[in-house]
Amino acid sequence: MRAGGSPGVSRRDVLRAALVGAGGIALGGSLAACATPSAAGAGRPAVMIWDLFSGGDGALMQEMVAAVAAENPDIRLDSTTLAWGSPYYTKLAMASSGGRPPEAAVMHMSRLAGYAPGGLLEPFDLDALAALGVRQEHFAPAVWEKAQYDGQLYALPLDTHPYILFNNPELVGQAGLTGADGKLDYDAISGTDGFLAAGRAVAEVTGETGVGWGYLRDPAGCWRMFWGLYTQNGGGYDLVPGRKAELDVDAAVEVFEFLQEMVDGTVAARNQDGGAASGRFMSGRAGMMFSGEWDLPMFRDALPEVGATPFPTIFDQPANYADSHAFVLPRQAHADPAAREATYRVLAGLLKQSMTWASAGHIPAYQPVVEQDAYQELTPQRDYARAAEIAVFDPDVWFSGGGSDFQNRMGDAMTDTLSGEAPPRTAVDRILREMDRLLSQPNPA
Amino acid sequence: MTVSNPSITAPAGKAPVRQPAGAGAAGGTRKSLRERDRSGYLFVAPFAVAVGFFLVWPTLYGLWMSFTDQSLTGTGSEFIGFDNYAEAFSDPQVWETLLHTLWFTVLSTVPLVLVALIMALLVHTGLPGQWVWRMSFFAPYLLTSAVVSALSAWLFQPDIGLLDTWMTQLGLQPIGWLTDEDVAMFSIALVTVWWTVGFNFLLYLAALQGIPQQQYEAATIDGAGGWRRLFSITLPQLRTITGVIVVLQLLASLKVFDQIYLLTGGGPNGSTRPILEYIYDTGFTNYRLGYASAISYVFFALILVFTLVRLMPARKEA
Repeated sequence: MRAGGSPGVSRRDVLRAALVGAGGIALGGSLAACATPSAAGAGRPAVMIWDLFSGGDGALMQEMVAAVAAENPDIRLDSTTLAWGSPYYTKLAMASSGGRPPEAAVMHMSRLAGYAPGGLLEPFDLDALAALGVRQEHFAPAVWEKAQYDGQLYALPLDTHPYILFNNPELVGQAGLTGADGKLDYDAISGTDGFLAAGRAVAEVTGETGVGWGYLRDPAGCWRMFWGLYTQNGGGYDLVPGRKAELDVDAAVEVFEFLQEMVDGTVAARNQDGGAASGRFMSGRAGMMFSGEWDLPMFRDALPEVGATPFPTIFDQPANYADSHAFVLPRQAHADPAAREATYRVLAGLLKQSMTWASAGHIPAYQPVVEQDAYQELTPQRDYARAAEIAVFDPDVWFSGGGSDFQNRMGDAMTDTLSGEAPPRTAVDRILREMDRLLSQPNPA
Repeated sequence: MTVSNPSITAPAGKAPVRQPAGAGAAGGTRKSLRERDRSGYLFVAPFAVAVGFFLVWPTLYGLWMSFTDQSLTGTGSEFIGFDNYAEAFSDPQVWETLLHTLWFTVLSTVPLVLVALIMALLVHTGLPGQWVWRMSFFAPYLLTSAVVSALSAWLFQPDIGLLDTWMTQLGLQPIGWLTDEDVAMFSIALVTVWWTVGFNFLLYLAALQGIPQQQYEAATIDGAGGWRRLFSITLPQLRTITGVIVVLQLLASLKVFDQIYLLTGGGPNGSTRPILEYIYDTGFTNYRLGYASAISYVFFALILVFTLVRLMPARKEA
């Protein structure tokens, strides 16, 4: 019997109760977390989209998502932006293999060859898309073709984003490279000699260099440049897992001979990385710039009148390295039909918002948008829109694609040659060696 | 109660009487020991659970994975015996990247020990404004690898970076700090020394302050000069801590990944790619978890041997 008003609770009891309570809360919390999806499924279906747009285009994607969310108030739309690069694909693969991935995700079409065969993705239902006004005829045949695997559509193309040539209209004008319309004359920068001469002419105007190209510490940029030029030079490839890589060695050597000539300190600076090249271009110390069209917002901030053309035809065949962002459906362990239906609606809605997307510089894949007058008035977007017609993608093999180890290894293999420390043949040998190594490895998917 | 303990003093037939501690109540002490054991386990339990979940289990699971063709995409978890190990031993990339890691370890460990020692000696000898030195030598250690890498990438940037700008202004040829195969690893070691030398410096400084002052006084009375005191008292007294610092530093340097991944990504032409990046690329970028685990265990075994060999003589001395 205790006297007085003591509640009879010791400090130990309090601690124990607190511990049990905390455990109970944690348990309850996790149960609640488990319950969320089905509870939401009963009400508004939840659609989660992962994307990799952290730059200027990220803000535009958020704008599009907001517009689609407003159109579909019955859907709980949630988008998450993750940093672009190989870790993005690690996360996506892990989420898919874990069975609880986002309902939809953005992916580079060049990665499809590594993803679709492994069962990480689910194909699109063409009838469901057609019912929402999205059909095959709305896409360029080459892009639609690229989005297929095993006769089924695994990726819903959002855009084509080519590696192009920007220009400073004022400087190229002073160099005498503009046509009657005051824009850079595409013919004046064609051919190896033509392009190098144009570069020297611009260098004379700037007093420094003609064209910016930041090849150092940017293996993916090196790869884009090489693969585009190699295709222009008629180079084919035979990359079959388990066999030796086959490239057209002579065509590849010619490409490196040209690039070495270009990186001569006059046409393009010898030691330049992406930041330095952009800096030179935006401050008028280079009149042209090789870069992805996704850099358009950045360049336009510095040079409101910035011009752009498709990648110049330096060798015989017009070709323009490009990749494509596409929506995919990661495989769900427990697919919720309501969420799936909502996902289709959201993705169709996002495609129709492509006009917003185009302002970042990307060429919309959804042709009804490209055909609109509004798009035809966008400059310089319309000036390089035909790059999509001559687009060349990464080789079709499981380890290639944006953000892959392959692109890093390829670009890395050519750095010494590009900086003039090794002959052209060295880069080709190293590329073949790396390709052989990757081809000898089993496809983990 | 039949407690057979010769030191029991309680008369037979009587229940043991609780006595004040230290008065020979052995039964009571034993019981409370057992009780204390139990509560000890309870206190250790949260930590043990964490270690079990996040160290023991992953280590065993990783070992199992190294014998399978497990992929990150969830496919292939079949037992394939020692195939992964056989592949690792015949994979030139494993040896190439291992050599890079060892090269970095040599390049970083030597200055990280010597520079730390020199800095500690200078500060201990009585540079004015001790706390300023202590702080400025130690401050970089507080930065995260991302910050350090961003800062140094900016310094090392080709063409427009701070260092190359200065070199050009001085009329020198710019250096490809991170882009020249022969230079890149040195640049990374340089950054690493600047970044982490503060920790070793602090260990040395503490050890210096622990050397008994009398030894110096006695030496001074015997007429020993400053250099003599340094070589005959200070350095011998620092032997033990140097052993500790070298082992810690070797382990830290062998684990190099962040700054290289962020600064060069392993380039140019793979000349700075450490084995951990190869493991990371194999497992997480190329999805071959099984094979990546096998390389990890080969590397782990090497580090283990390395550490044991290094620790053995130290134990003999002790």
